[in-house]
Amino acid sequence: MITRRVTLLGDHSAMSLPVLRRSTGLLLFLALLCCASSCSPRVESHRRIQIWHQKISAERDLFHEQLKRFNAAHPEYVVEALYKENEELRNLFVIAAVAGQGPEIIYGPSDNVGVMVTTQTVMPLDRVFGPEFFERFIPQGIVSWQEKRWLAADQIGNHLTLVYNTDLVPTPPRTLDELVAMGQSLTKDTNGDGKMDQYGLTWNYREPFFFIPFLTGFGGWVIDEQGRPTLDNEQTVRAIQFVLDLRDRYKIIPKEGDYEIADMLFKEKRTAMIVNGPWSWGGYGVPGQNMVAPLPINSETGQWCEPMISAKGYAVNVNAAPEKLPIIRELIDYMTSAEVQEEMATKLSTSPTATAVLSSPVMESNPALVASMQQIEHGRPMPIMPQMRQIWEGMRGPYQLVMNGAITAQEAARRMQREAEKNIADSNL
Amino acid sequence: MPSEKTKVRLFLAALLTPALLVVLAVVAFPFLFNVVLSFSNANIYHIRDWRLIGFDQFVSVFRQELFWSILLKTVIWTLVNIVFHVVIGVFLAVVLHQKFIRGKAWWRVALILPWALPQYITALTWRGMFNYEYGAVNLLITKYLHLPPVEWLTSPFEAFLAVIITNVWLGFPFMMVIALGGLQSIPDDLYEAADVDGASKWFQFWNITAPLLRPVMIPAITLGIVWTFNNINVIWLVTNGGEPADSTHILVSYVYKAAFNMYRFGWAAALSVVIFAILFVFSQMLLKRTRASEAVY
Repeated sequence: MITRRVTLLGDHSAMSLPVLRRSTGLLLFLALLCCASSCSPRVESHRRIQIWHQKISAERDLFHEQLKRFNAAHPEYVVEALYKENEELRNLFVIAAVAGQGPEIIYGPSDNVGVMVTTQTVMPLDRVFGPEFFERFIPQGIVSWQEKRWLAADQIGNHLTLVYNTDLVPTPPRTLDELVAMGQSLTKDTNGDGKMDQYGLTWNYREPFFFIPFLTGFGGWVIDEQGRPTLDNEQTVRAIQFVLDLRDRYKIIPKEGDYEIADMLFKEKRTAMIVNGPWSWGGYGVPGQNMVAPLPINSETGQWCEPMISAKGYAVNVNAAPEKLPIIRELIDYMTSAEVQEEMATKLSTSPTATAVLSSPVMESNPALVASMQQIEHGRPMPIMPQMRQIWEGMRGPYQLVMNGAITAQEAARRMQREAEKNIADSNL
Repeated sequence: MPSEKTKVRLFLAALLTPALLVVLAVVAFPFLFNVVLSFSNANIYHIRDWRLIGFDQFVSVFRQELFWSILLKTVIWTLVNIVFHVVIGVFLAVVLHQKFIRGKAWWRVALILPWALPQYITALTWRGMFNYEYGAVNLLITKYLHLPPVEWLTSPFEAFLAVIITNVWLGFPFMMVIALGGLQSIPDDLYEAADVDGASKWFQFWNITAPLLRPVMIPAITLGIVWTFNNINVIWLVTNGGEPADSTHILVSYVYKAAFNMYRFGWAAALSVVIFAILFVFSQMLLKRTRASEAVY
């Protein structure tokens, strides 16, 4: 075997002085260009306010419109909005803020507050606003923890409701029994090929967040006041068994149900009802052919199927430059104002946090909003303790295994508890 | 007055310095920071005030049962993928290299498409195709093969199979392109001489094509192994972050979960160092054993 060695530099003597000079000149030019390009954005950054948010579809369009209006009124600043998916939003924000970077403002659900406060990545709003600012909100509109205020919400919600197709479901079910009966009559194999062409109900039953209304309907909950999981009990077992029965006994939900499939089935009118939150209503054309109703009551326990309720709003990065605080204050003030919240309630059916809007006629004029407020009455505040992250992770695996038929409902409840406890312990190492 | 040689050296240093600075900033610093972090207690509660705690995180990594099962799964994932990537890639390259094939340029473009498309689009498309009731794969299985539908994304084994199928689809074009390049550099004289000696095509493949492709393919395989071992995209997107119940994780996707879902930064950094050590030792051994950096003719 012949080994060939090739020198990468080649013959040095071939490089003449004129070539060297020209190349050096080129290097200098490139260096100057780099300097110039790195200098210009620094000037701009004083005038730029960035918001990271997780608003989607119709909500995002309106959000951009509102920011545009603010920008027009404040031409000396540029407000930029950057969308990030919810998990990514929180994770990237924490990483960026710990490194002294990140956007000036983050918009998201209140359960992010626990993580953001623990990691010291947001500043208390008391440092930004005077007491008069907080007076415009109902108590749930300002998210407090450890005796400080961290998030100013423009809506209460993030809550799951029952969305139904009025062509197929003239009156929404009031109880779980009615839901099952209605689901059975609406699940159909119209062309006789042995496959269901229409289901009664669907939702993302791979994600434990969507399991919460069933858990609460059977009297269960996920966490106690000390931040310990409360999952290994009869209530969890019965709730899991009920979800399994919906699929395997009553056969009113599809065999597989992730978010995308559930969403697509409802949009294509291949399912009569879906469990989904306010972020989806715009895409479903609510109010209209599709409508919203509170999730049913469990007649067996007498308990409502209560979804988790959380406020969604604005928090300020701990690294926000002091000279930007006045414009940040003005921006959040505008984006949580009664005017903006009323527009959101009218166009998106979001539930406002401003007392002025809650007592205005707009609340009665929109049937979806009325139903949404009824659901909020039958909801439970989403815990903001950071342990919730570990509990969600602990629940997810066993919940998926039980839905696959790999373990029983009893075993799933046991494993949820065990894994959540382990995750909490591990996160302290 | 500096000599001509000194000037050349200074000029070369000037050319290399920016690249060196960039490498230090984007490779060396993060790498060293990760190593330091792996000896720390950095987590959600100590993200700002972390301190060094010795080897505790490494001990925790090796003590966790899940680490060993995920390591085994990662090895299987890498081996199966690479075998299919190389076999399919080389096979298609050899076929495309044949003189009788018409429309070679068209075929080449068509076969490179899976590689040219952004990975996340391919991965999400496959995720949709693996849906139990509405996915194309099960529709084909039930309609044309008259077999029962498969729970691709909800059963652990089938979900792992689904990600492997997706990654095989994504990865073979790279090996095909490399093998095609290697084939074009093999002189025709060797095949002509073999034809004269009456050697069969099979004999020619194993005694001419395969040895002469080796110097091209070994570095490509080494790269492929490292990429596949660290391919988080396909796992994360097709199985939605290791579902069902973390059963489709490979080491790197588990690192991501530990760091960004559980905020166990020190633990995740320790696991990353373990992954680095595995890959470093493996690639050095492979390159040394196969003498892949040496030319053959």
